[in-house]
Amino acid sequence: MGGAEQAVARIGEEPDVVTGEDAPAARAPAGRASAGWKVLPIVEGLVLLIALVLPWVLQDYLTVFATRVVILALFALSFDLVWGYAGIMSFGQALFFGAAGYGVALMARDLNVTSILLILPAGMLIGLTASLLLGGFLLLGRYPSSVIFVSLGTLTGSYAADRLARGWYYLGGQNGIPSIPPLTLGSYEFEEGPVYYYMVLGILLVVYLLCRFLVRSQFGLALAGLRENEQRIAFFGYKAQHLKAIIFAVGGTIAGLAGSLYAFHEGFVWPNMLGVVFSTQVVLYVLFGGSGTLIGAVIGTVIIEGVSFWLSDNYRDVWPIILGVLLLLVIMFRPLGLVSFVLGERERVGSFGKGPNKKGPNKAPKPKETGNAAP
Amino acid sequence: MASTFAAVFEIVSFGAIIVLVVLGLGIIASMMGIFNFAQGEFVLLGAYVTYLAYAHGAPVWVGMVAAPFVVGALGFVLEALIIRRFYAAPIVAMLGTYALGLIIRESVRGLIGGFYLTVPEPIGGSIDLGSVHISAWRFTIIVITLLVMGGCYLLLARTSFGLRVRATLENPALARASGISTPLIYGATFAFGAALAGLAGALIVPVFSLFADLGIRFLIQGFVAVMVGGVGSFIGPVAGAGVIGTLSAALPWVMSPVVADVLVFVLAIAFIKFRPQGLIAGKGV
Repeated sequence: MGGAEQAVARIGEEPDVVTGEDAPAARAPAGRASAGWKVLPIVEGLVLLIALVLPWVLQDYLTVFATRVVILALFALSFDLVWGYAGIMSFGQALFFGAAGYGVALMARDLNVTSILLILPAGMLIGLTASLLLGGFLLLGRYPSSVIFVSLGTLTGSYAADRLARGWYYLGGQNGIPSIPPLTLGSYEFEEGPVYYYMVLGILLVVYLLCRFLVRSQFGLALAGLRENEQRIAFFGYKAQHLKAIIFAVGGTIAGLAGSLYAFHEGFVWPNMLGVVFSTQVVLYVLFGGSGTLIGAVIGTVIIEGVSFWLSDNYRDVWPIILGVLLLLVIMFRPLGLVSFVLGERERVGSFGKGPNKKGPNKAPKPKETGNAAP
Repeated sequence: MASTFAAVFEIVSFGAIIVLVVLGLGIIASMMGIFNFAQGEFVLLGAYVTYLAYAHGAPVWVGMVAAPFVVGALGFVLEALIIRRFYAAPIVAMLGTYALGLIIRESVRGLIGGFYLTVPEPIGGSIDLGSVHISAWRFTIIVITLLVMGGCYLLLARTSFGLRVRATLENPALARASGISTPLIYGATFAFGAALAGLAGALIVPVFSLFADLGIRFLIQGFVAVMVGGVGSFIGPVAGAGVIGTLSAALPWVMSPVVADVLVFVLAIAFIKFRPQGLIAGKGV
């Protein structure tokens, strides 16, 4: 690891310079925010409003497409939680998405289970188990794992799962598992269309609110600290590795939920769902929209999927190239993604503890409160 | 006996291909501390240049000679324009080079379509050793890999350029103070790594044929090999590549290919977990 350490040592002085440059930029929006303007809730409200009226505006086949986008946004949310907040580069998030998809597809095929009350928990459980195993292996241990190791480990896991699914006859090989029956609730069948759309949107909303609560809690504050300076957080007495493993498992659970919804919506699962294709796709969504904002993940998914749907008729060949160029530009010049055009740094991080005009000592930041999160 | 020999040859020749691909990746990772996700696409570009030369009527070997220079030049330009900005953070470097790789891969896909294009071997036929026939081209790849390995070693260990590269790796501030232009050294190192990938692509295209996803397959294997071998030295990644290449070629002979494929990755990740410094720890050549 000499080279990597050397690289870190070599650029050791760089981050300070960067924060020095960023500080004025971060302060300006903060001033605006303290003047009573909160942009984040407005953006979130707008997105929700648009999402709610969409099925009335769109034709049927577009509603089906919109449903897919909402599910992918749920998937993107899971990655944003892991990368945007905790700074764990999970290059294999699709592993949990696809594993849950395959798992519920098998349940439907071999056990004839299609009830939503069983399928969704099963998908979440598969995602949770897989992410606990992988995360526990990669993140925990006597010595902290390097970021490079974690990102390569997750990438390799996803790639290996893809290869396994391609070669395993029981899982359908290259073709995957076709013709999954529709999701049911009692005798009701969820067909593609507005009902499925609203069901998925409701789930996304609930998960979004839970995530928002989570990242605005003491736990979320510790996570943000982890992303910014892991060593300092460790010095404060937090078990940095445990925090990482926990959030990784939460991300995996959400990805599993998204994967099971996706499998039943599309009606089939195929190896790409597990592999590098989906894993990198979700990275694109989040980076493009803006990591570490939750809403950025949703917006990024909607824009990338929407534009690629729009362009796919005429510019199918050129679109991936444009996507690559855009991504490169975002990484080089707008590392906080599209939402950073409207969101200030202060709002991105969020406010913790009691604000100047709030009463009550209930949110005073004491390490004791996170005792359950970091035992 | 004959079949054993054929199997050993298969294993060695695949190992050589992986070593060839990993050399460039390992040099960039060890000397510059960044994991270049576009490396697979540099391999693809090398293959594409070879194909272009062949499609325009030139002999295949002309394309093979040209490929490293073309890809190396491109690597130099990309380093100066883009990669240079990413040294501050290894993770951002991964994402940035991934975006670069995406652009290159999709451009090539647009140019060749979804086809598998074949390029003939410049040295065809087989070498007969008694009852065993081995592919002459694969044998040539092994020989070239050995030559390139030796050449890289000599370049890094015995020339003044190599000394500057190592000095920049050891202590950039002191290297700058001694009058070494470290940005130029980084540029040259990156270009050199890219050129090696281009050469690898050019040499393997007759074996694997040209398709847009050619690079991805080698990229992940290459990364795993670099980590197994140990980042920081020249010999580490080469050793890692030897191990990974040999394992991935040898295991399918004793178990089902699907299981073998996955097992190699699992073993490699487990190995890195418990020995993060890799097979060969330490810096230098």
